[in-house]
Amino acid sequence: MKINNKLRVELARALVVTAALLYIPSNIMPVMTMTIVGKTEPLTVLGGVYELYDSGLPLIAGVVFLASFVVPFLKIAALGWILFLHGTPRLRERRNALHHIVHKVGSWSMIDIFLLAVLAAVGQLGSLAAVTAEPGAIFFCIVMISCLLAAEIYKPRLIWETTTT
Amino acid sequence: MSTTLTSQLGGAKGDWIRCPNCDASCRERELSSGEELRCTRCGATVLQFTGRKTLQPALALSVAGLLALVLANSSPVLVFSVAGRDQSGYIITGVRELIAQGYWPIAALVFFAGILAPLLYLTSVAYVSSACCFHVRLPRLVDLIRLSEQMESWNLVPVYSIATVVSVVKLRMLGGVQWEFGAQWVLALAVISLFVQQTFNHRLVTERLISMGVEP
Ligand SMILES: [Zn+2]
Repeated sequence: MKINNKLRVELARALVVTAALLYIPSNIMPVMTMTIVGKTEPLTVLGGVYELYDSGLPLIAGVVFLASFVVPFLKIAALGWILFLHGTPRLRERRNALHHIVHKVGSWSMIDIFLLAVLAAVGQLGSLAAVTAEPGAIFFCIVMISCLLAAEIYKPRLIWETTTT
Repeated sequence: MSTTLTSQLGGAKGDWIRCPNCDASCRERELSSGEELRCTRCGATVLQFTGRKTLQPALALSVAGLLALVLANSSPVLVFSVAGRDQSGYIITGVRELIAQGYWPIAALVFFAGILAPLLYLTSVAYVSSACCFHVRLPRLVDLIRLSEQMESWNLVPVYSIATVVSVVKLRMLGGVQWEFGAQWVLALAVISLFVQQTFNHRLVTERLISMGVEP
């Protein structure tokens, strides 16, 4: 039981570190390339947000910015903090509440992956239009899944564990 | 939040039951209408007054959701057109295209969160709530409750529906886009999924199952 919990903490820490390291490439590298009538444009997550904002859609730009840039960052920071304080009695209520929030909003980063899937589905018009996925999308997925798994493995009961591991 | 069935199964009133969130022991007591028993340590809801509530809404909604899922997947969601040529896209088209481009991990993720998990979630909810509504001891009830708990957070159709709106906005800058029949079912499925999560109360399910004599 005790070894099992220790392993859970170690695994969750490894996943959060992975997510933190890949967060930067996932935002710098393009997630897709859009070619429309001969114009090729590599799109990063933030590039897509700027494009939406630029075309007069600040609300939708805001939603995508929150879901795909702010949420992953806050998730990594929150999980990192929760895991850093593991085994100490400090701020348990706050850690518990934060864990809840991470669990609730965690899946919203999928918006970018679904967006890629929808655009790739309808954006195949031979020489007129082509939407292709780029390696950045893989990093983006790894960041999201690492955070999801970390929150799943490090269950809230471990916050309240009385014996230190 | 995942709660295990065993931790929710309290015995007679006055017993100690485990908090589903933090494992602390809480003293069970009789609840009156609208009351909740909260964990003294972490504040999570341990018991809820269930009264005469039934699982009929959950059953009706999950069946409606399954219907919406079939319809959302059997007609295109969008049509995009540039210079007289157009292409329509189903939910599965995106999955196929990503596989064709060699990005099968992303394709698998989209397939799972957009089609498979909603299917498993709604099916397990329909199965368990029909067992409770009709008082039938269907096989493997406990496994299916667990499945519904695991699939709940993976049913990402609400996120998918927002992604479709964003993609329409994006595509409109580049060519002609049209909503198709499937889109309204994606939206319906998203809304129904959220309501199913509200009505399929795990504590209520457990109570109904105990009264039918099903124990894990
Ligand atoms: Zn508790």
